[in-house]
Amino acid sequence: MIYKKAVSFIIRDLILATSYKFEFFLRFFFMLFSILTFYFVSKLIGGAGTEYLEPYGGDYFSFVLIGIAFSGYLMTALRSFSESIRGEQMMGTLEAMLVTPTDTSAIVMLSSLWSFIFMSFRVLMYLVIGILLGVDMSNANVFAALIILVLTIICFGSIGIISASFIMVLKKGDPINMFFMSTSELFGGVLFPISVLPEWLRTISYLLPITYSLSGMRHALLQGYSLFALAPEIIALLIFSVVLVPLGLLSFRYAIKRAKLDGSLVQY
Amino acid sequence: MKYTIETHDLTKRFALQKEFADFLRHPFRKDEMNAVEDVNLNVKSGELFGILGPNGAGKTTLIKMLCTLILPSEGTAHVNGYDILKDSGKVRESIGFVTSDERSFYWRLSGRHNLRFFAALHNYYSDDAKERIDELLSLVGMEDRADDMFLSYSAGMKQRMAIARGLLNDPAVLFMDEPTRALDPGAAQNVRTFVKEHITGDEGKTVFLSTHHLPEAEELCDRIAIINEGRIVAVGTQEELKSALDKPDPGLGDVFTHYTGKEFERGAAPKHVYQGRRRMMGGGRPGRIRF
Repeated sequence: MIYKKAVSFIIRDLILATSYKFEFFLRFFFMLFSILTFYFVSKLIGGAGTEYLEPYGGDYFSFVLIGIAFSGYLMTALRSFSESIRGEQMMGTLEAMLVTPTDTSAIVMLSSLWSFIFMSFRVLMYLVIGILLGVDMSNANVFAALIILVLTIICFGSIGIISASFIMVLKKGDPINMFFMSTSELFGGVLFPISVLPEWLRTISYLLPITYSLSGMRHALLQGYSLFALAPEIIALLIFSVVLVPLGLLSFRYAIKRAKLDGSLVQY
Repeated sequence: MKYTIETHDLTKRFALQKEFADFLRHPFRKDEMNAVEDVNLNVKSGELFGILGPNGAGKTTLIKMLCTLILPSEGTAHVNGYDILKDSGKVRESIGFVTSDERSFYWRLSGRHNLRFFAALHNYYSDDAKERIDELLSLVGMEDRADDMFLSYSAGMKQRMAIARGLLNDPAVLFMDEPTRALDPGAAQNVRTFVKEHITGDEGKTVFLSTHHLPEAEELCDRIAIINEGRIVAVGTQEELKSALDKPDPGLGDVFTHYTGKEFERGAAPKHVYQGRRRMMGGGRPGRIRF
């Protein structure tokens, strides 16, 4: 029955999102701007940095397009769980939801579903616009890319749930969100390959799931790597998942218990 | 006898917020305040039980503990035979909760969409949900406005929707936290009539209602618990409570004063004004809330 609940959440969020019609269309419109910005930056760069970009096909625009598109999942995961809790707290609807038999964890997960759907749609738009601007994905291994995507969402989602646990207890000032938000762009290979970084700084990159996620996604979509060739990224993401999923669930369970003890479940 | 709601020494202490200086001076000291203290109550099936007390007395904390939204510091409670700690899911399956907070709905959804969404959280979907929602909308007299945005409703309509939502899962026990707080006298009276005549009368549900409105408690409740500073100071029928007083025709305010030594700060209009209002408004037809 969870899928029926999921549908209810999606319908609720779709109606709420489209009730602010102007904002809904603006979000799509301004999406184009960031892509075009990087398109012209890549024109400027031209062939410079080819040695760093070679493992990903050699083209900067293709590289950065995948980076900004799929790093959005991390941003969505970091924001959506905690923002859904905070949003419901501020709207005053959280208590009415928590007094139903639906488990609190399910409520938080399902509340974020719309953000992930919207993000997926956005990624699709990015890729379509990228292809129209000349990105070559004719060799893409879509199946492998989907596997990387699923593992990415699991890893990022778990980090988002840990972040939401902090919000549940502290209400504001979540260190997980701040850490991943500030380190991912610099160390995760979103805008440039991590091989540009000095060796000692690259160590930090290897500790972030986004590094493997973006690397795997680029190899799968731009170069059509096989699952076998993507094994290092897939194994790394699996290890992150094995650690982060139970950690996320345990921390969230603890946070709910703590908030219920403090009586602060609906405070913000 | 098995009661629908039973509490045993139910206690809730909240930690007091520390000042910055306190973190340095007494880093390990934990200052607490008792919000609810050693509450022992038994509520029978089908009873309309009132918890009466001024603002800040602990009514909402008590209700939230029974609804599993807050964990008690000490003590136990059972609702419909389920332990609020060990079987919190079962408790929530068997209860409804009506709050006076009109923000507890999505204002940009229609009333019907709101109910559909909350029905899904109660595991009612598709046709089952539709049937139940139609029935409830008709019951609370909102079928004509059900497809309007929630933000367009008056306070009275919002409260009717809150009652409809509280009844979505056909609960055995309905918790009502100051259900008439935000309503004008007419709308409040209609809600009271509906609760008394329909929810407990026709449906035979157990209602646990908190109020700081003395005449509301007098009009509605089979039995009343008076709560002050987190402690239950008296429980009984109105006759039992009033019989302890050596005063002709005492009111619940007098009972409160008798047991606490304090004036009841937050009542509403004096009893004679309230009765006058009731006469002016006439009686609504039982079974539906009407304006």
